[in-house]
Amino acid sequence: MSQPVFYSTIGIGLFCIGLYALIVQSHLLRRILAINIMGSGVFLLLVALGGRGTTGIPDPVAHAMVITGIVVAVSATALALVIMLQLSQTSGRAQQPDKSQDSRH
Amino acid sequence: MDTVSLLLFSYDCLLALSLLWISWQIFANADLFRSIVLFIAFGLLMALVWVRLDAPDIALAEAAIGAGLTGALLLSSLARLDETAMSGKNISSGLPVRLTYRSLLTLVIMLVGGGLAYVIQSLPDEAEGLTAVVIEQLNNSGVSNPVTAVLLNFRGYDTLLEIMVLLLALLGVWSLKISPISGGPPAGAMLDYLVRLLIPVLILVAAYLLWVGAHAPGGAFQAGSVLAAACVLLLLAGWNIPDSISSNVLRILVILGPVTFVITSLLSLYFNQHLLAYPAAYAGQLILLLEAAATLSIGFILAALFLGNDPSAGDSK
Amino acid sequence: MILPAQLHWAPLLILVPLIAALLCVIWPARVRWFGLAGVLTVLMAVIGLGVQLLGQDSYSHAPGGWEVPLGIALYADGLSLFMLATTALVACGVSVYATAYFKDEQSRWFWPIWMFLLAGLNALLLSADIFNLYVTLELVGLAAVALTALGGRREALDGAMRYLLATLLGSLCYLLGVALLYHGYGSLDIATLGRQLVATPLVSAAMGLMGVGLLMKTALFPLHFWLPSAHANAPAPVSAVLSALVVKASFYVFLRLWLNIFGPLGGIADLLLGLLGALAIVWGSIQALRQTRLKLLVAYSTVAQIGYLFLAFPLAMFGTLAAWHGALYLALSHALAKAALFLAAGNLLCFGGHDRISDLDRVVQRLPLTAATVALAGVSIMGLPPSGGFIGKWFLLEAALSQGRWDLLIVMLLGGLLAAAYIFKVLGHMFTQATVTHEASAVPATMEWAALLLACGAVLLGFLAVPILQLLGLGDPLVMTEVMR
Repeated sequence: MSQPVFYSTIGIGLFCIGLYALIVQSHLLRRILAINIMGSGVFLLLVALGGRGTTGIPDPVAHAMVITGIVVAVSATALALVIMLQLSQTSGRAQQPDKSQDSRH
Repeated sequence: MDTVSLLLFSYDCLLALSLLWISWQIFANADLFRSIVLFIAFGLLMALVWVRLDAPDIALAEAAIGAGLTGALLLSSLARLDETAMSGKNISSGLPVRLTYRSLLTLVIMLVGGGLAYVIQSLPDEAEGLTAVVIEQLNNSGVSNPVTAVLLNFRGYDTLLEIMVLLLALLGVWSLKISPISGGPPAGAMLDYLVRLLIPVLILVAAYLLWVGAHAPGGAFQAGSVLAAACVLLLLAGWNIPDSISSNVLRILVILGPVTFVITSLLSLYFNQHLLAYPAAYAGQLILLLEAAATLSIGFILAALFLGNDPSAGDSK
Repeated sequence: MILPAQLHWAPLLILVPLIAALLCVIWPARVRWFGLAGVLTVLMAVIGLGVQLLGQDSYSHAPGGWEVPLGIALYADGLSLFMLATTALVACGVSVYATAYFKDEQSRWFWPIWMFLLAGLNALLLSADIFNLYVTLELVGLAAVALTALGGRREALDGAMRYLLATLLGSLCYLLGVALLYHGYGSLDIATLGRQLVATPLVSAAMGLMGVGLLMKTALFPLHFWLPSAHANAPAPVSAVLSALVVKASFYVFLRLWLNIFGPLGGIADLLLGLLGALAIVWGSIQALRQTRLKLLVAYSTVAQIGYLFLAFPLAMFGTLAAWHGALYLALSHALAKAALFLAAGNLLCFGGHDRISDLDRVVQRLPLTAATVALAGVSIMGLPPSGGFIGKWFLLEAALSQGRWDLLIVMLLGGLLAAAYIFKVLGHMFTQATVTHEASAVPATMEWAALLLACGAVLLGFLAVPILQLLGLGDPLVMTEVMR
C-alpha cells in the first residue's frame, strides 16, 4: 500500500471514529472533541493524497487548505466551548438529551 | 522491501495505530480530564504525522494551534465547568438500552468508511494536483515558500475570510460574557523566573517564524500561535495588565490584521482592478506587512479566546 | 472618474459589510449607524451589479489577478443576482427592525456579528471555488450560531449548541467531498470541474458527502432536527435572518453544484431529493399545526417550505425551466414572508411577553399593523394569489402537471391545505379575546412597519414575476451543462 493511500485510509478511520462519537456521546465536551477528531481525519486525507506528485514537492494548495482548516476549527471550538459553558451555567449540566429522544417534537 | 523502507513502514504503522488507538481512548475514557490530555497527545502525534508527510508548515500550526491552544482552551473550559456544573464531569456515555441503535450505527459508519476507502484506492497513483501551476508562478509571487505563496498571494482571498472567521469567533465569545479564567494561586518564584526567561524567547521565535515564512516553513499563523502561547503563559503565571490599557490596546491589536487586509483589498481594487492584487515589484514586502499585521491579530485573538472575557466590559470581574 | 459600469460591485458587496463590522468593533457607540449604512450600501451595490449584469450577462473577478486554476474565481450571473437581491432586501428590513429591537448592551454585539454574517452570505453567493465556499459556509455558520446564542437565554443557548454541532458536521462532510473532488480532478474551480467530471464512484461519493453536508445545513428532512429549537428560540430578528437567508445559502451552494457538476451525471439522486422534499412538506406542515407556540409553528413552517424547493429537482431533469423558476421564486417569497412572520412574532412577544398562540389577545384591534403583517405573509406562505408564493407554487404545479407527476401534485396540494390550516389557526386566535387578558407593552412603530413592509414585499412579488424571472435568466444559470456519461 503506498503512503498516500495508507494515510488517507487512516484519515477516513479518524473521520468515522469521530462521527460515531459525535452521535453516541452525550457530553458536549466530548462532542466537541469528536468534531475536532473528524476534522483531523479530513485534513489527513487532504494532505496524504497530495503526496502523489511526481516532482519532489508536496501539493502546496492542499497544505494551505489544511492550515486554513485548522484555524477555522479552533475558532469553532472556542465558540462551542463558550456556548457549552454558558449552557452549563444556566441549566446546571453540560449534557444535551440525545437526538433520538428529542426528534419526537 | 529493503531495510530502510521496512523501518519507515513500521514507523508509519506505529504512528497510525497510535493515532487510532488514542482517538478511541479519548471517548472510551470516563474521565474528562484524561480525555482532554489524550486529545493533546493526539495533536502532538498528528504533528509527527505531518512531518512524516513532508508538511512542516502544517506540523508547526498543528502543534501550536491544534494541540497547544485547543488543549489550553479545553482545559480551561473543564476547570470552569467544574466550578459551575454539579455532576457534569464523570458521566459515562450512553445508555445500554440503545445497543441495537448503536450496532446499526456502527454498521452504517463502517459501510461508509469502507466505501470511502475503496474510492481512495481507485485513485491513480500519481497525480499532480496544482503543484506544477504553483511552482510555475512562484517567482512572481514575492516569496519562495510555496505554501506561503498560496496562502498570502494566490489564494489570499481565502486567508482574508479566514482571519474574519477568527475575529468573528472572538466577538461571539465576548458577546456571551463568561467569567475570566481565575488566575489561580500567585506564581511561585520558579514559575515567575521561567516566565521572565521564556517570554522574550517566545517573542523572538514568533518574529523569526514570521520572517522565515517567506522562504522556509513558517508564516503568519505559526508565528501568531507562538505569540498567543506567550500571552497564555503570562495569563497563567498571574500577570495582570490594567483593564484600561488592555481593553483599548487589545481591541486595536485584534483588528489590526483584518483592517490591513481590508485596506490592501480596497487599494488593490482601486489601483489594480483586482481584489488583493499586489504590484509585482513590491509583492514580497506587502506580503510581509500583511503577515506581520496578521501575526499580531492572530496571536492576540487566540490569547483573548483563552482569556474569555472582554476587558472593556466594566463589570468583568 | 470611475464610471459605474467599471466599478467592481461584486468585491464591494463583500468588503462593505466587512468594513462595517470592523467599524462596529472600533466604535461600539455608533453600531446602529454603521450597520444601517452597511446594509444600505449593500443594497445600492446589488442594484449596481444588476445594472452591470444587464449589460454583460455575467461577471467574473479573479482576486489577486490570478486566473483559475491557480486562484479563486468570483462569479455573478442572474442566479447570484437574484439571491443577492433577496439577501439585501431582507437584510434591510431586519436591520431597521433590529435598531429598535435590541437594547444597547446586546446591540453592541449584534451589529458586528450581523455584518460578518452579511459579508459571509455575499461572499458565498459570489464564489465559484469549492474550497472558498467551505470558508464562506463556516463564516455564515459561526456567525449565525453566535447570533442565535445572543442574549444568553437557556433555550437559545440550547438551540445554538445543537445548531453549531449540526453545522460543523455538515461543513466537515462537505470538506471531505471537496478533498475527494480536488484529488480526483486537480481543480477547485466549479466550472473546470464541471467540464472534466464523469460518473465514477469517486464522484458519487463526493456528491453524497457534499450533499449530506449541505442538506444538513439547509435542514431538509430528515436532517432538520436542529432547526426548530434554533430558529424558534433565537431573538426575533435573528430568527428572521436564519429562516429567510441562512438556510437558503446552503441551498444555493447545493443548487450551483447540482447545475454545474452533479446534475448532468444522471442517477437517482433527483428522485431521492424529491422524495425527501415531499416528506419535508408533509412532516413540517403537520408538526406546525400541532404547535402551541407561535415561533415554533413558524419554524416548522420553514421545514415544510424548504421541502418545496427540493421538489424542483426531479421536475427539472427533463429540460423544463419552469420547475427551477418555481422553486427560486418560492425561495424569494418565502424569504420575505418568513422574515415578516418572525418579526411579527417578535412584535407579539414584545407586546404580550409570550408567544402562546391560544393566548393571543385581540391582536387585530390592539396591533393592527402586526395583524396585517401576519395576514399578508400568511397569504404568501399559503400560496394564495396575489403573492410571490402563489407564483412559485403555480410554476411547480404546472411542471408537475405537464410531466404527469401526480404524486408530487397531491403532495403540493396537501401542503397548501395544511399551510392554510396553520395560518388560519394563528389568524383566528388573533381576532378573539384571550381567556386571560395580559398587560400589554408598547411595540415600537419601527418594528411594526419593518415587518409590514417585508410582508407587503412578499405580496408585491405576485405582480413582478416577469421582470424578475428575466433578471434570473441573465447568463443562463439554470441551463444544465451537457449530460455526460
